[in-house]
Amino acid sequence: MATVAERQDAASERARGAERRRRRRRSARRRQLVALAFMSPWIIGFSVFYVYPMASSLYFSFTKYDILSQPKWVGLSNYRFMFTSDPLFWVAIRNTLWVIAILVPLQVLFGIATATVLTRVRRGLPFYRTVFFLPTMVPLVAAALGFIYILNPAGPVNRILGLLQLPEPLWFVDPRWTKPGLVLIGMWGIGQTMIIFLASLLDVPRQLYEAADIEGARPWQQFRHVTLPMISPVIFFSVIIGMIQGFQYFTQAYVISKAGDQDHEVGFPQDSLLFYTSRLYQQGFEGFHMGYAAALSWVMFVVIMVCTVILIRSSRRWVHYQGGFR
Amino acid sequence: MRRRLIGLLALALLAAACTAGGGGSDQPAATIDPNANHAPLTLTVWSDFSSRELGVTTAGLKTVSQRYPWMTVRHIGSKDDQAIQRAINGGTPPDVAISFTPDNAARFCATGAWQDLTPYLTSSKIDKAKIWPAGVFSYTSFENKQCALPMLTDAYGLYYNTDLFAKHGISAPPKTTAELADMAKKLTEYNPDGSIKVAGFLPLIGLYGSTTVNTFGHAYGAKWYDESLKPTLGSDPNWAKMLTWQKAMVDAIGYDKLQKFAARMGGANSEFSAQNGFETGKIAMMLDGEWRNAFIEGDKSKVSYGTAPFPVDADQPGLYGTGQVGGTIAGIPKGVKHPAESWLLLQFMTTDNTYLTNLAHGLKNVPSTVEALKDQQLQADPHFKPFLDVFANEQSTFKPITPIGITDFDLFQSFAQKWQAGKVPDLQAGLNQLDQQISKQLQLG
Amino acid sequence: MSATTAARPRRPVPPQIRRRRLLLSVANHSVAIALSIAFLLPFVFILATSLMTNQQALSPNIWPRPFVWSNYKTVFQSFPFVRYTLNTVTYAGLATVGVVLSCVPVAYALSRLQWRGRQAAFMLVLSTLMLPPQVTVVPLYLVFVRLHWIGSLKPLIIPLFFGDAFTIFLLRQFFLTIPQELSDAARVDGASELQILLRVIVPLAKPALAAVALFQFLYSWNDFFSPLLYAGNNPDSWTLAVALQQFTTLSRGVLWNLQMAASLLFMAPVIVIFFFAQKVFVEGVTLTGVKG
Repeated sequence: MATVAERQDAASERARGAERRRRRRRSARRRQLVALAFMSPWIIGFSVFYVYPMASSLYFSFTKYDILSQPKWVGLSNYRFMFTSDPLFWVAIRNTLWVIAILVPLQVLFGIATATVLTRVRRGLPFYRTVFFLPTMVPLVAAALGFIYILNPAGPVNRILGLLQLPEPLWFVDPRWTKPGLVLIGMWGIGQTMIIFLASLLDVPRQLYEAADIEGARPWQQFRHVTLPMISPVIFFSVIIGMIQGFQYFTQAYVISKAGDQDHEVGFPQDSLLFYTSRLYQQGFEGFHMGYAAALSWVMFVVIMVCTVILIRSSRRWVHYQGGFR
Repeated sequence: MRRRLIGLLALALLAAACTAGGGGSDQPAATIDPNANHAPLTLTVWSDFSSRELGVTTAGLKTVSQRYPWMTVRHIGSKDDQAIQRAINGGTPPDVAISFTPDNAARFCATGAWQDLTPYLTSSKIDKAKIWPAGVFSYTSFENKQCALPMLTDAYGLYYNTDLFAKHGISAPPKTTAELADMAKKLTEYNPDGSIKVAGFLPLIGLYGSTTVNTFGHAYGAKWYDESLKPTLGSDPNWAKMLTWQKAMVDAIGYDKLQKFAARMGGANSEFSAQNGFETGKIAMMLDGEWRNAFIEGDKSKVSYGTAPFPVDADQPGLYGTGQVGGTIAGIPKGVKHPAESWLLLQFMTTDNTYLTNLAHGLKNVPSTVEALKDQQLQADPHFKPFLDVFANEQSTFKPITPIGITDFDLFQSFAQKWQAGKVPDLQAGLNQLDQQISKQLQLG
Repeated sequence: MSATTAARPRRPVPPQIRRRRLLLSVANHSVAIALSIAFLLPFVFILATSLMTNQQALSPNIWPRPFVWSNYKTVFQSFPFVRYTLNTVTYAGLATVGVVLSCVPVAYALSRLQWRGRQAAFMLVLSTLMLPPQVTVVPLYLVFVRLHWIGSLKPLIIPLFFGDAFTIFLLRQFFLTIPQELSDAARVDGASELQILLRVIVPLAKPALAAVALFQFLYSWNDFFSPLLYAGNNPDSWTLAVALQQFTTLSRGVLWNLQMAASLLFMAPVIVIFFFAQKVFVEGVTLTGVKG
């Protein structure tokens, strides 16, 4: 039978347990508040610069609004026009898809290729690395203007092509050649991607190559079965970054279109340079059809989300992480 | 979860609230006594003038201080319609705006971006019909709103290089489009490597701003819309005729060759520079506005030339002597701080005959008021007279203006550029489709 | 990061293999050299053109004759280059300060504090990484119109004082690599989270901070879309990127030599920074790609 003292001990033990639990709850709440305090700049930024605009532009996408007068509710007519009556909408989508499906992979491949060249070079690596990386430092506007001049139908590149008796395309004046011109600009700026691949290629353990050598694998097979899986996380990363930048593709297209004549529509010549962002800019900030532009931005948001999910899901199949899940 | 929903709802309401108050109240037509004393005031005028023309216009605008000693004008150039629109949207408009694109006048009127000037005209007791020739109202007003007034105007015609004409044994400028095509071929000279040295005529649409579907369209009397504002690009056969003629000229020389030639000349950017193809003798004949006379003088070009009305469709000889007319317009943007003073300045810019006549001499533009048109100096200039005649011709028009501004023009220009590159297999189908596109744009507004 | 391979025991190498290795090495080097020429050629063209007269710019001459150094002076005289540079430096500088100040605490919370909703918040941060500015730009523009900030650099700078997804992501990844024991030790000593952040984490994170500062500065220096949109209608607020693009209209004529000279002047500060901060760059880029 418990004595009074023992009963008092048990009671105070329980009281102390409750006190401890209360203190833990209080400190958990305090931790929560501290964390939220640290997060506050981003929380404010996220609400004001992301949530609010998304909600607001959803509202505007159902209106006709030109800033000077009140927005007029028009229901789905912006979307209907977009999908059924706006041929430039599909042109913009096609061009942006070209960036994602062709330009980005080309850039990734070229990044891997140049990085591979650098892994084989014994002497002068810092020199080559600097030279290859330097063009990425050049602001896009300057790069675009530089290439407009270089690829001018009467410019240096064509002169060299002429000397070599090769055909001289009209580059940025010919809608068939504007995209190859963009590819050239993209390749020139490959330095950042290349650096990442270089580091990753050098990280591949030599034992794997040696093991493959022993099994008699040829260089190409080694590349396919050792190198590629080992650098697949970096490929995944580059593709994602490439996709993000691809959806935002604007500066080069805008500068090149307007360089010939500021009055040219964004997308000149013949809409070959009309990307989704250019279309949005044109509708919203040259034509001031804010409602239609808002609708365009929501469609863009949905498409990007879908593409991201697809890419991430597919990555589980081909991206190999060293040491399991990240 | 509930908290998040409430948060989003609040934000949506906030969004709706923020959009309220988008339209300001219409300002009453406040006018002040022009002869009274006034505190000194600086008014800003925005236009798309640049280099020499900017200087000439600025000098002309300064003379307003002789009439109103308290008024100083600050003229800022290189401001195109978009820049002006952005400023109006942003709440910081210039006190008076000048535009080179009368196509946008209907948009300005319909959206209220430029104020309706009718109340001002009434309180200043101005009789529109007495001051301005009838032709200008088609491109300065829309649906009974007079939101712009012309500040000088333009007319298009043919410039031809008399030296090159003599060299190739041509004595008179062409009167029909078929003659023009023939002469263009004759006048084209080539380099040993096959590239073009001198072009007889540069038929490429989308290069120089004076060579457009519109200016060519006038040569064939082609109509954009019918009375009910339905597009007639497909139904009016003259458009197809014009485009066929234009493409034949392109193909006769070669699209690629012409583009390379244009690029070597400096591309579209050379239009208003001293490297302009006609001014440097690289193009024998050109369709251009009457202002080219001033540029030739100002750039000290050595070209010896003549001017004439632009050739027209051989089947419609009655069209000879007409052309595209219409040009610079000016107005008062919405939300200006001193509307009454803005009106005084605008009134000066558009009705003061001394100012307009001097400006017309400096810019070599067609005067826009009935009185200024009588000016002897311009009438006597043999290079300038053909343009005055084109403007006086009652069949000369601008282009019907619509609330979609230059969208219809842009769509047609885009199409024409595809066409001249050989990318349009069925011209008629393409034009019909264009009509539909424009109709849908008009509906979207 | 070096390319030297691990030392291997030296065996006598038969001449055929040595020859093959030499050929391969020559081949690799030639490719590298060819690529180097290709990468440097645009710079050469741009530099050469910037020193030509305008007549020469599109003529068959590839080399300037004579060298027109005065082109650079003309650029300074033709448009207010100094003001545009000042605008660009202001924008890039303040943006960098804002980003570092706001992202450090956020990255700290996402990496070194345990709290409910941390994973979800991180997912949200990542999600904004995917969104181009064009998606949110329409309503934001309208808000800035109401605030009368259009025509100034405020719409560009102020949002960056409220976090930037890429920077948060980078810093978080880096903070995760700092051993937990250091924080725990400080906590045991009674330090508050803020003190831990400032006294323990920040000093250790200097390379990452340098990298993100450099990235943001460069990004802002090169930024075109946002300055075009928000400051485009007010030439007094133009940054160099916008001014350079508008340069073609101001002269209403093709002045390629001046255009190239202006482009070089625009590139120059960044390239200079690059040469001095190369190591930070390369390490920073590696940080993003390999660890991320």
